[in-house]
Amino acid sequence: MKSINEIKKIANNYIVRRIVAYIFLMFLTATITFFIFRLMPGNPVEAYLRSMEQRFPQYFETRAGMELSQKYKEMFGLQGSIFHQYFCFLRNIVKGTFGPSLLTFPEPAEKLILQALPWTIGLLGISTIIAWLLGVLVGVFIGWKRESKVSTFTAWLALVVSQMPQYFLAIILVFVFAYTLYLLPGTGAFNPLLKPGFYPEFIFDVIKHATLPALSIILVTAAGWIISSRSLVITILNEDYLIFAEAKGLKPGTILRNYVMKNMLPPQITGLAISLGFIVNGAYVVEWIFNYPGIGRLMAIAVGLRDYSVMQGVMLLSIFGVLTANLIVDLILPLIDPRVRRG
Amino acid sequence: MEIVRIEDLKIYYKLIDGVAKAVDGVSIKVYPNEILGIAGESGSGKTTMVNGLVRLVKPPAYIAGGSITVNYGENGIPKEVNLLRISENEMRNLRWSFISYIPQASMNSLNPLLRVKDQMMDVIRERSNKSKEEALTLLPELLKRVNLSPQVLDMYPHELSGGMKQRTIIAMALALSPKIVIADEPTTALDVVSQLSVLSTLYDVCRKSKTSLVLITHDMAVHAQLTDRVAIMYAGKIVEVGRTADVFKSPIHPYTKGLIASIPTIENGGKRLEGISGIAPSPKNWPTGCRFHPRCPKATDKCRGAEPSMVEYEEGHFVACFHPEVKK
Repeated sequence: MKSINEIKKIANNYIVRRIVAYIFLMFLTATITFFIFRLMPGNPVEAYLRSMEQRFPQYFETRAGMELSQKYKEMFGLQGSIFHQYFCFLRNIVKGTFGPSLLTFPEPAEKLILQALPWTIGLLGISTIIAWLLGVLVGVFIGWKRESKVSTFTAWLALVVSQMPQYFLAIILVFVFAYTLYLLPGTGAFNPLLKPGFYPEFIFDVIKHATLPALSIILVTAAGWIISSRSLVITILNEDYLIFAEAKGLKPGTILRNYVMKNMLPPQITGLAISLGFIVNGAYVVEWIFNYPGIGRLMAIAVGLRDYSVMQGVMLLSIFGVLTANLIVDLILPLIDPRVRRG
Repeated sequence: MEIVRIEDLKIYYKLIDGVAKAVDGVSIKVYPNEILGIAGESGSGKTTMVNGLVRLVKPPAYIAGGSITVNYGENGIPKEVNLLRISENEMRNLRWSFISYIPQASMNSLNPLLRVKDQMMDVIRERSNKSKEEALTLLPELLKRVNLSPQVLDMYPHELSGGMKQRTIIAMALALSPKIVIADEPTTALDVVSQLSVLSTLYDVCRKSKTSLVLITHDMAVHAQLTDRVAIMYAGKIVEVGRTADVFKSPIHPYTKGLIASIPTIENGGKRLEGISGIAPSPKNWPTGCRFHPRCPKATDKCRGAEPSMVEYEEGHFVACFHPEVKK
C-alpha cells in the first residue's frame, strides 16, 4: 500500500500533471466536437431521405423509407437519445472508428483518412522541417550580421515572401515549372502508370511530384522562420548578458554558439513542435491546387459532400495532433530551458 | 606611472535631430592599486565614458576623438598602447586579463541558460592556457573571495538572488587577475543591505589582489568611504578631481559643494538638505562657457562666455572653475 503522501507526490509530478491534462483535454475536445456536429441543424439521414422522397415520389414507399432511415441512423450512430449517441461516439473513438463515409459508402471514414495521412505527413512533415532548418540558419546569420547589405536585402525579401499566400506562390510555381518549362509535374502525388511500392523509380517519381507543393510551402514558412529567428537574434544581441560576454573577451564563435544560439533556440524549437502538430490538418489550398491526395484535400471534398464521418475524423485527428505536439513541447522544454524545470 | 591615461575623450550619440555630446573632452588618469571614484548626476556621461574605456561603445554612440592609453607592461617595463587604435583581436586579448568590467545591469548580465560554472569556465578556458582541471579547482576559490559557496557553481542565474548575481559577476571579473576593474554602478539594482556587503566585498578583493578599481556611482557617501581619489563629472566633462579626503574636506567647484551638501548627515539633524537648483542640461545642447553657469550661484559674465580649464590648487587636486573658493 502506498501512503497518501506518496500518491500526492506522484500527482504533483510535472510529467504526470502534463499527461493528465493531456488526456482530459482530449476528452474535452472530443466532447465539443461531438456536440458541435449535433448542433448543426437537421438530421443528415432524414434530409437525404426527404430529398429522395421529393425527387422520386413514385418509387418511394414511406414504410420502407422509415425502415431505411432506421437502418441508416443505426449505421451513422444517430439513433437513441443524445447521451446514448454520445457514449456510442466515445466508444467508437476508443475503438478507432468514425463510422461509414458518404464518399465511399459503406467503407469506414478512418480508412480514407489513413490512406490520405501518409501523403500529408510525408509532404508537410518534410517541408516543415526543411523550412525550419533553413529559416533558423538564415535568420541567425542575417541577425548576427545585420549591418551587411545582404542581410538587409534578405530580411526585406523574407518579409515579402512570408506574407504571400501559399496558393499564390503555388500557382506561380505551377505556371513556371510545370506549364512553361515542363520540368516538374504540377498535379498528383505519383505517376498513375507506376505501381505503388518501395522501389527507386517510384520513390523518385513521388519526390518529383512533391517538389512543387513542398516548395510553395517551404518558401513561405521558411520566410516566416527567417523573420522570427532574425528578430530573436537581434533582441538577444542587445541583451546585457551579450554585452557582458563581449566584455569578457570571448571569441565571436563562442558568443554565437553559447549565448546567441542557446537563447534563441528554445522558442524556435517550441514553434517547430507546434507546427509539426498542425501538419495532420493537411494543407487545404496547396493540396487542392496540386491535386495531392492528402488530408487537406480529403477534408475539402468531405465538406463539399457533407460527409460528417470524415469531417469528424479529420477534426479529431488534428486535435490529437496539436495536443500531442503540445505535450511533447511540455516534456522537452525543461530539458533545453532550465527556467522551466520544476521539482 | 599611471596604467590608464584618458586624454580628451569624446563620445557622441548620433540622433535624428543632432548630436548628443555625452562625453565631451574628458582627461583622467588611473594609477596602479588605487580606487578611483567617478561621481556625477544622471546624464553626466559617467557610463558612456567607461563604455569607451572598455571599448563597448555601441551605435548610435561613437567615439568622436581623444585617446585611451593603457600601460600593460609588467614589472615596471612600460608597454603602452592606445585602446582606440588597436584591432578587435588585440582588444579581445586585453579584455578580462588586463581590464575587466562589472556592468550596471548585473541582474541581466548572466546568460540565463548556462550554469554559473560554465559561464566562468568559458572565459578562463578561452583566455588563459589553464587546463580544464586547473580551471575547475580555481572556480571555488574565486567564489570564496566574494563570500559565495561553491554550490553556486552548479546553479543557474535565475536561482540566485540579486546580491549573489552581483557577487558572481565580481568573482568573474577577477577570474583572470586583471590590472584594472571598471565597476559601473555595481549596486544600483540592490537593496541597501546588499549594497553595503557587495561594495565591501568588491573593495576587499580589489585591495587584496592589488587591482585598480574605477567605481562609478552617484552615491557620494560611497565615494567618501571607499575611494582613494574621486572625479566629479558634470555635463560630459570632469569639473573637479583630487584625493577623496581633499575633495570632501575642501571642495572647490560649486557643483562639488552642492553634491557634498546633498549627503544627509547626523549632525544636520533634521534640517532640509540643500539641493542644487535647476535641472541637468541636455547633452544635445550644452550651455556655453562653463556648463554649470545656469545653475551656479556664483556665475558671472565670464562664466557665460568662456570655458574654464583645469587648474591644480593643491597636489593632485584639479578644478575647472573661474571662481574657486580655496579654504586655507
